[in-house]
Amino acid sequence: MKGEVDTFRLSLLPFCALVFGIFTLMIIIYLTASFPIFQKEGIQIYITNVWNALEDNPDKEFYGVLAAIYGSVYTSVLAVLIALPLSIGFAVFVIDYAPHKIKEPLIVVTDIMAGLPTIIYGIWGAFVLVPMLRDYIMRPLYEHLSFIPLFSFEPVGGYSFLAAGVLLGIMVTPFASSIIREAYRMVPFTYKEAVFSLGATRYEATKILLGYIRPAIIAGILLAFGRAIGETVAVSLVVGNVFNIHPSLFAPGYTISSLIANQFGNAFIYGYMVSALFAAGFFLFIIGLIVNICGLIILRRYAYAQRG
Amino acid sequence: MKVAIETVNLRIYYGRNRVIENVNLKIPENVVFAIMGPSGCGKSTLLRSFNRLLELNPNARVEGDVRLYGRSVYDMNPIEVRRKIGMVFQLPNPFPHMSVFDNVALGLKLNSLVKSKKELHKIVEWALKKAALWDEVKERLHEPGSALSGGQKQRLCIARVLAVKPKIILMDEPTANLDPISAEKIEKLICELKKELTIVIVTHSPAQAARISDYVAFLYMGKLIEVGKTKEVFEDPKEKLTKEYLTGKIW
Amino acid sequence: MLREVKEKLFLCGIAIMAALAVLPLFHIIYSVAARGLPVLLKGGLKFLSGTLAPPGDGLGGIGPAILGTFILTSLASLIGLPIAVMTGVYAAEYPESILGRLTRSLLTIMMEFPTILVGLFVMQILVIPMGSYSAIAGALALAIVMMPYVAVYTEEAFKNIPFTYREAAFGLGLTRFKVVFRVLARMAKKGIVTGMLIGMAKVAGETAPLLFTAGGLNRIYFAGIDRPVGAIPLLIYNLVQQPYENYHEIAWGASLVLLLIFLAIFLPLRLSLKEVKL
Repeated sequence: MKGEVDTFRLSLLPFCALVFGIFTLMIIIYLTASFPIFQKEGIQIYITNVWNALEDNPDKEFYGVLAAIYGSVYTSVLAVLIALPLSIGFAVFVIDYAPHKIKEPLIVVTDIMAGLPTIIYGIWGAFVLVPMLRDYIMRPLYEHLSFIPLFSFEPVGGYSFLAAGVLLGIMVTPFASSIIREAYRMVPFTYKEAVFSLGATRYEATKILLGYIRPAIIAGILLAFGRAIGETVAVSLVVGNVFNIHPSLFAPGYTISSLIANQFGNAFIYGYMVSALFAAGFFLFIIGLIVNICGLIILRRYAYAQRG
Repeated sequence: MKVAIETVNLRIYYGRNRVIENVNLKIPENVVFAIMGPSGCGKSTLLRSFNRLLELNPNARVEGDVRLYGRSVYDMNPIEVRRKIGMVFQLPNPFPHMSVFDNVALGLKLNSLVKSKKELHKIVEWALKKAALWDEVKERLHEPGSALSGGQKQRLCIARVLAVKPKIILMDEPTANLDPISAEKIEKLICELKKELTIVIVTHSPAQAARISDYVAFLYMGKLIEVGKTKEVFEDPKEKLTKEYLTGKIW
Repeated sequence: MLREVKEKLFLCGIAIMAALAVLPLFHIIYSVAARGLPVLLKGGLKFLSGTLAPPGDGLGGIGPAILGTFILTSLASLIGLPIAVMTGVYAAEYPESILGRLTRSLLTIMMEFPTILVGLFVMQILVIPMGSYSAIAGALALAIVMMPYVAVYTEEAFKNIPFTYREAAFGLGLTRFKVVFRVLARMAKKGIVTGMLIGMAKVAGETAPLLFTAGGLNRIYFAGIDRPVGAIPLLIYNLVQQPYENYHEIAWGASLVLLLIFLAIFLPLRLSLKEVKL
């Protein structure tokens, strides 16, 4: 067999090459499409909050997507803050306390939630969640506690960072929870025995075992953040879609993905808007890549350590 | 002689299978009490009924009674039981995500047994010394528990247990996964510790039982076949099964 | 004493967190059913086959969107599945090679990719040169989204075949082609098909990749592969943002249709499996 060409391998290579090719092409396209705006504005595209769209005067156009970056980070952090306790609680409940008969159904429910078309989350968010949040949480908090910056924006329609954060939190919890659940399930039984044999209460034992799987929890959070920041349709239907940098939860704003979704329709009539939106997309590309790679590396290292 | 642990008509089931059949045992205070028998005869299960660790397994069911110094462990809070009875496991299991120091300190912190950091350090050092590990780790207290060798890990686990000052220590085949030198160190440690503690050790090696125990019980297929002073049981076993086990006919 | 209080609080807290994690699904299903069902009942079968009503006036139907979803999913599968399966096979057969490991890593990364960026990319390379939205562009975007899932499932399916069967197949003197594609593939079939169906279920519900590629079609059913095409998620997205009340109703009705389609594919799939990667 020596010296013979491995035709099997060769026949498969083109397909792999295609996948790599698509990915590389994507990076190239984003870079080239963003190039005009980088040339025109440099780093300003990312650090200013401006949206000067002028139809007939391309030179005077000026774009700065800081508001979208702010909104993306704000809502994703909010989402993760919500998802963390929920996913840990769910994981612990399913593994340690759920009666046998409802364990599997509970997991199926979260799997459905993880795969549910995001537009359904979106329409529910826009027509059901937003009014609920506005009437039962935002308005009362604004009336009584508006001196606190977090609550200081008057909720009119209810479309806000809070609505987006809550919706995203609901959406990414099943995903984070599946990672944490799997790690918690795989903790070797001998450590559970050791902890209990020292006289720990269930609360204390859980705390210690969660400490044992901490890398998995961190990875789950990072990956959930990556998912949240990349989500488009659900967010764009509840976040308000206005250029706004405001500390209040109740303020409306933009996220990078919802900015692109919202503005692209009419971007072609302007000289530089398309490029600006691509630049915003490129930023999202990079953040998404970094966060997801970090999360995956941490998770893989943890998994290897377990096997040894 | 005071009785540390007593079982009364103890039966243990896994689902429908009866794995421990009517065991009546009296374990005296401050001795090394060995439970020996072939693999799979229920020794580890029996041991876990003493500190109610069996309850971690939803399939296990216990009938009969286990008494700690005369008091039924089922009248007590399981957490209280486990504080009074320490356990060392077959596979050394110090928590890998915690330092050597924190591993020993864990039991103390959880049970709020110390009032100050100074006291904590004192007791951790004492426990590590008693476990014959202090000299080897005193410069490495903040390294993770997983950085030690197998024998050291097991002594760390013993220190972890000693720190909460239990009266009884259960050991489930503690040297099964160790090299002979480490095993010897641990056997020496056990002989030292018995002066202040009761040690119940499960072992699949009759030779080990002969070496270190004062009393021995022979368990076969979940039944208590013979129990008595080690010297007597080994030199003059009364039951046929015991004879066969000791001569290697069954293992 | 304090320890016992902490213990009780902890158990309560855990149960509440778990409930909160799953409650939204039930509320969502309830909302979609409660608001969508009346629309379906009012519209009847015409809702599923008819074309879109004018603003503010009646229901019409979402026929073009349903057809469009079907066309897009099929086309995307046609493009994406072969590439995905082959890539998965390579990763499974050469797990030690650099390319194999890189491929596996790349696929995992692509699974987490913001789907709107895929849509934007396809827009740039296909829609703009062609001058219009098209079904093929939408299908390409969906294919790119689908590929990582199918590839990873395929790889796992092959990896799970016990080594002894591989030995037996080679021992019969078969070439590697035959071993992999005639013998092992048959054993991995369940896993591969599952991956395909999961991928298809996922892209049928995707919106963002279609925003700048498919274009949407409401009044006619099909205009050609190089012309715009509708899709249910896309339709819902557009209708929700309109101010007309009847369009909102249609959106709820369409959501119910989408939900039912999704559950019809996903539930049987999920229940026949032990675990699912999403």
